[in-house]
Order: sequence, then structure tokens, then C-alpha cells
Amino acid sequence: MGVYIARRLAATLLVMALVGVFIFLLLHIAPGDPAAVIAGDNATPQQIADIRHQLGLDLPVPVQFGRWVWQLLHGDFGISIFSQAPVLTLIEERLPATISLTLLTMCFAGVLAVGAGVLAAWRAGGLLDRGLMAFSALGFSVPVFVVGYLLIYIFAMQLGWLPVQGYAPLSAGIWPWLSHLLLPALALGMAYVALIARITRASMLEVLAEDYMRTARAKGASASSMLLHHALRNAGVPIVTVIGIGVALLISGVVITETVFNIPGLGRLTVDAITNRDYPIIQGVIVVFSGAYVLVNLAVDLVYTVIDPRIRY
Amino acid sequence: MTISRRAALQGGLAAGALAGGLPLARRAAAASDTSTLRAVMQGDLRVFDPIWTTANITAYYGVMVYDTLFATDEQFRPQPQMVGKQDLSDDKRTYTFELRDGLGWQDGTPVTAADCVASLHRWMARNGGGQVMQQFVRDISAKDDKTLVIALKEPFGLVTDLLASQITPLCFMMRKKDAETDPFQQVSSRIGSGPFVFNEKDTRPGSRYVFNKWTKYVPRQEPPNGLAGGKVVHLDQVIWDNIADEQTATAALQSGEIDFYELPPIDLLPQLQGDPNIKIDVLNKTGNVGIARLNCLHPPFASVDARRAMLYLLNQADFLKATFGNPKYYRTCPSYFGCGTPMQTDANTDWFKHGVDLDKAKQLFQQAGYNGEPVLVLDATNIAFMNNSAQLIAGQLQKIGVKAQLATSDWGGVVTRRAVMAPDDKGGWDVFITWGSAYAFSNPIALNALALNGKQGWYGWPSDPDYEKLRMQWATATDDATRNAIAQKMAVIGWNDVPEVILGQWVSPSAMRKNVNGFIGVPEIIPFWNVTKT
Repeated sequence: MGVYIARRLAATLLVMALVGVFIFLLLHIAPGDPAAVIAGDNATPQQIADIRHQLGLDLPVPVQFGRWVWQLLHGDFGISIFSQAPVLTLIEERLPATISLTLLTMCFAGVLAVGAGVLAAWRAGGLLDRGLMAFSALGFSVPVFVVGYLLIYIFAMQLGWLPVQGYAPLSAGIWPWLSHLLLPALALGMAYVALIARITRASMLEVLAEDYMRTARAKGASASSMLLHHALRNAGVPIVTVIGIGVALLISGVVITETVFNIPGLGRLTVDAITNRDYPIIQGVIVVFSGAYVLVNLAVDLVYTVIDPRIRY
Repeated sequence: MTISRRAALQGGLAAGALAGGLPLARRAAAASDTSTLRAVMQGDLRVFDPIWTTANITAYYGVMVYDTLFATDEQFRPQPQMVGKQDLSDDKRTYTFELRDGLGWQDGTPVTAADCVASLHRWMARNGGGQVMQQFVRDISAKDDKTLVIALKEPFGLVTDLLASQITPLCFMMRKKDAETDPFQQVSSRIGSGPFVFNEKDTRPGSRYVFNKWTKYVPRQEPPNGLAGGKVVHLDQVIWDNIADEQTATAALQSGEIDFYELPPIDLLPQLQGDPNIKIDVLNKTGNVGIARLNCLHPPFASVDARRAMLYLLNQADFLKATFGNPKYYRTCPSYFGCGTPMQTDANTDWFKHGVDLDKAKQLFQQAGYNGEPVLVLDATNIAFMNNSAQLIAGQLQKIGVKAQLATSDWGGVVTRRAVMAPDDKGGWDVFITWGSAYAFSNPIALNALALNGKQGWYGWPSDPDYEKLRMQWATATDDATRNAIAQKMAVIGWNDVPEVILGQWVSPSAMRKNVNGFIGVPEIIPFWNVTKT
């Protein structure tokens, strides 16, 4: 197991490196010039060239790439072209908001979706099942920003229960933190709930049709024991898999959700950096996202061994 | 444990009261704080050096934290701001400025003339008008701690106008040690001598920017007049919340989470106008001028006939209506130097009166030798006015048989591509759309788009030596009447050469809570002194 984890961690570094190379090249192939954005609309080409030279953006791409890799190997993600702040500092400042939003979404979505999926499978074909599956289809179909605006309109503007926007760190208190994250988590979690609920239902239906479930029922097992103890555990591997895969869905959703709810997280940082062509930030954030995604999937693989003792690495 | 019905009911009522009370408590807390004003400005404050960048949001930051020697009043006339006494020698070659009493940096040290000398040099290296002024400057020196002297090689009538100008970068004064930073490097300090001090501790980059009242700031005694006059601060704190999403910012204003929204989108104005707690006001009355810039280096627009054809092809009202909808917020304007500006002129504007004439436009393209080559219109799809205008231009060109094509990207892509001087097939372009403040359009020295100085100049690279001679005469003229007369001659040449087509002029209304008052309306800047919240 230890060797497996070490191998996967090494692979994570490799993936992050490959993503870094890909992003670096993509950014330098794509149109856009941070110097032109910095200089403003009134600047002449000569003024832009001066800024480009100051920033080292006129150096050959391989030289720029070499410098970036060298910095990265020393744990230095570079400096923002615009704010001149270290990228790592910017990421550190934004990480808590994104982690808060993502974890809250995963927790509530996981509980809600698995519960809904189990209930739907238990009452397959019934009203509850159809209702849950209709909700699931809706969750997939409605874009996260539309859900976000609706939630803001109902809960912040009409009812006035929760703030429209912003973020309060956990250090400001549980309620301020939670009140700023409830609506974003709900909006972000809709598609995630839909995805997990559908997989849970399908997986549960498959397990519930197994002979051993009929045996359990014949032995007088209660419905809750059958569903939660026997069926859910055996249906767990695909559910955990989709929870891991769904992290990618969350990462892309975070970018939109943080913008709609004005949460100063990594998503907002990425969008702003792309608009400004702030290459070091884009590269740094994408590398962090790719690392997080790979690590979450490593965690999922490890959870398999807990759910199904037959799985060994 | 058992729970009685009575206990459950009491618990439920308490929970309901708590839930119901939350919004009231939240809104009451926001409303009761009359010493703090929360605002959503036009963009994120990414750069903190107002000399290094021309970004307006950084200039906003600049007028909060820094001060200027001169400032323009409502009639766009320069008035002393940090300067107490001023003198111009009889031969009009030596300006002497004495700093007024009580000026101090936010680190506790006094403002000296040496600080101002260094600041002037740095500003001249970065400001278009400053670079022209530099050609006339023989020396800038500090006579003593409070007196600085600008000695000129020959009379230059725009010295105080440029020092007061609101065209970015403004001539902000910085501490000597900050101002000695390479003009192409950012200063790292946030210390100024303006009416607000930047609160770095409570600022969260990308999220909110906090400014505290600088209690030791000594305002002038005169009442505020444009950016001139006394900068009296009535608020303890101003917070700029960076809310990128327009719908969210609108909701935040309506719910009382913010007090001021600088640029609500036009299509959301009806929603705000219907709210009894919100008022709408146009602060920058002169507004913005939109232009379609033409590439004079390559066919078809290398030919002046093709450029003139564009004047027969494009109708300003179409462009304005497509983006701004409500005529209350836009106007057509044929003036080469913007409308409602000191240099407004109707010289040589017959093209505007004749309106759209597709046959004439087609004939002029034929005269230009147009032979069916593609005409590339850069289309910044992330900015509504640019996107709508690019599509309208392409559509009009296609109507007369010109093979117009849209090159779509975001604005970041356009600003890169427009710098390419090569032909279309090698990454170049033929038309791009942008805008500038009408106030800037009245200054042919400070606004690079108003120069016709060829490849040394702004994108499109139009060239006309006669116009350039007039531009220098305009800079050296010593009175407004002479400048206006020269501006008329420049407009005649400008509309003959057609380096760009003006697409119209518009204003951008701001929205605020009704308990907020005192915003001073000026071009380019949103000042927060004089503002009250009740």
C-alpha cells in the first residue's frame, strides 16, 4: 500500500508538471499581451514594447519557460504581472474560500445525493423515485449561474435571510462563514447532487436485485438495515468513484459560483488573471487545481479499500 | 427524553423569530453605519501605481491617496490644489510654484518641493502630454523646501493645464524616494498626501480595498469645484467591493449591502429605477466617445477614398441604439474633439449631415481600387459596445460588396492584434473599435489617438505632417481662443484624412442608495470627498 501511495504521489507531480507545460505553451500560443493590458488603451506600441521589455515578455518563449520551471523547482510560483504580489501568496489568500465552498458543497451534496439515490432505488418506479429523478435532471440542465441568481433573488432579496454576496472567513464566526456560503454551495451543488444521486440509484438498483439481498429480506432484515448496511456498502465503489470524478465538475463550477456570489477564491483569481493575461497566476492556479484533482482521485482509490476489503494495491 | 407539543411550538416560534430577525438585523447593521460607504467600482484595483498605468481604476485610487499640484474645475480650467502661490515670469518661460501650508505625507513627513520635482520627472516620462511638455522644459528644480521652479526653453501654454489634467496618468505627487522609481517599474509604497489613506491591513486584494479618512489632511478653503477646491472628507471609511458580476452587484445595491454602484449595466437600470431606495445619476456628464479606428498602412484603408467611404456607410445612431438603447444616455456627435468639451467644433462635418449613402460608399471603395480582398474587423466579444459595433460595421461593409470578416477574441486579444503592423494575412487587421472619455478627446496632445504621426504613433498609424504642425501649435498656444481656432483647422484635416470614424457619444449613469449624497461629477474620476451618508 505504501509503495502504491508513493507511486501515485510521484505520478501526481508528473501530472502537475505536464499540466504546467501544457498551460504555459497554451498561454503563449493564445492571443493576448499583458503589457498591452497594463499600458492601457491610450498607450503607443513603443510604450507597450517598453513594458514588455521590463517584464521580460520579449524574451524567447523557451527562455521564459526555462525561467518559470527553474522558479517552480525552487518552490517559487513567480510574481503577478499586475499586482507584483507573489503568486503563492495570492493562492494562499484565496485557498481558504475555495476550500470552504468546495468542502461544504461536497458534504451537503454527498449526504443529500446518496440519501436521495437510496430512497429512489428503494421506491423505484414510484412517485418519490420519479420526483427525485426529475429533480436530478433539472440539476443537470439548469446552469449554475441561473440557480445562483434564483437563490439570491429568493433568499437574499425577497426573504432577506442570507447575504447576496461576499465571504467571511471561519475566524469571523461559524454563522457569518456559513451564511455567506450556503447559497453558493446550494447553487454549486445542484449538478453534483444530480450526478451522484443518479449513480447511487442505478448502483443500488443493481445491488438490490442480487440474491443475497433476497436472502437478507428472507432472514427478516429491516428495510434500513438492508438498504444501508447490505446494499449501500456493496454499491459504494461506483458512488465513491463518481464523487471523485465530480470534483472536476466542482472545480469548473467554482469559477462561475465564485464570480456570481463574489467569493474571493481561486476561481475568481483565475477568471481575473485570464482577462488580464496574468500568466504567472494562471499557470500557478491551474497547477494547483490539477494537483488537487489528482490527489482527490488518489483518496478515492484509497477509500475503495475501506469499502471493499477485496481491493488491494 | 420527551418533547411536549408546547415546547416544540415554543422552539418553532423562537426559530421563526430568529430566522425572521436575521434579515432585519443584517439590513439594520448595514444601514446604521453612516461613516462607512461601500462602493462597487468599474473594475478590480490591480495596480497601485497611478503613474505606471493609465487604468482609470488606478487613477481613482490615485485621487484618494495622492494629491496634485493643480486640478481642473467644472469648466476644465486649471486651479491650484497643492500649490498656494504661483508666478509666471514676464517672458513666460519660468513658472514658480509655492506649496501651500499643511501638506504632509501619510508617514508623517512634510511634502517638499524636492518630492514634487522627482514626481514631475516621473510623470513626464509616462504621460502623453507630459512627454510633449518635456520637450519644452529646460529644468525643474527646488528653490527651497516649499518652492519649485519649472524653467522652459520657450513658452509653453499648457503647463498648468497638463499638471491639472484628468487624463490618465494624472500628475500625482509622491515622496521623492518613491518618485525616483524607474517610470517603467511600479512603486511599492502606498504613501501619499491625499485625503484618504490606504488601509492595507483590512484590504483583501481582488475582493475589497479599504480607504480611511486621512485625518491630518488639510483641505483648501474653497468649496469643491470639479476636482479643484477643498477636498473635505465626511466619511471615516470607503470600501471598494470588487463584485465582478453585474447582476450580483445590482442585487447587493438593492439589498443595502453596498451604497454605490459606479457602472450598472444599461439593461439593469429599469430594475434599479423601480426601487424606491435607489437613485440614478450621471456623474461624468461629458461621457465617452466611441470610435472605429482604420488601419492606414494597408489596402483598402491605406487609400483615403476607402476611409472616406466609411463616413457614408456608418450611422452613429445605429451603433448607439444597439448598445445603449435609451436615447437619454447617448447622443450623436460629429465633432472631431468630442461634444460638450472645450474644443468642440463643427468644422468640416458635412459628412455627418449627408447621412448614410451606400452608393457613394461603394463608389469611393471602387475609387480606392478595392479588389475584393478581405477586410478584417477586430471584434472584442466580451465588451458589448465593441461586439455590437464590429458586427454592424461588418454588416454595412458587406452591403456594398466588401468582404468584411470578423476576427473574434476578447479585448485582451484585440489589444495584442491591433499592435501588429503587418497585413491581414500575416496577423494584421483593418478596423478595430474602442472608446475614450470625451474629455480626453478634447486634448490632442494627451490623447494619442488624436495624433497623425505615422508609425511612431497610435494604432492605425495615420500620417499628416500639416496636422502635426498644427498639433504642436496647439500645444504652444497660450490662450483658449487660439487653441480653439487651431482645433478647427485640425478638425478640417482630420475629417479629410479620416483616421477613424466616430461612432457616437454616451454617458454612463451611476446608481446609489438614496441616503448617499454629494458625489462630484467630473470626467475620468470618481472622487469620494464631499460625499455623505445619512
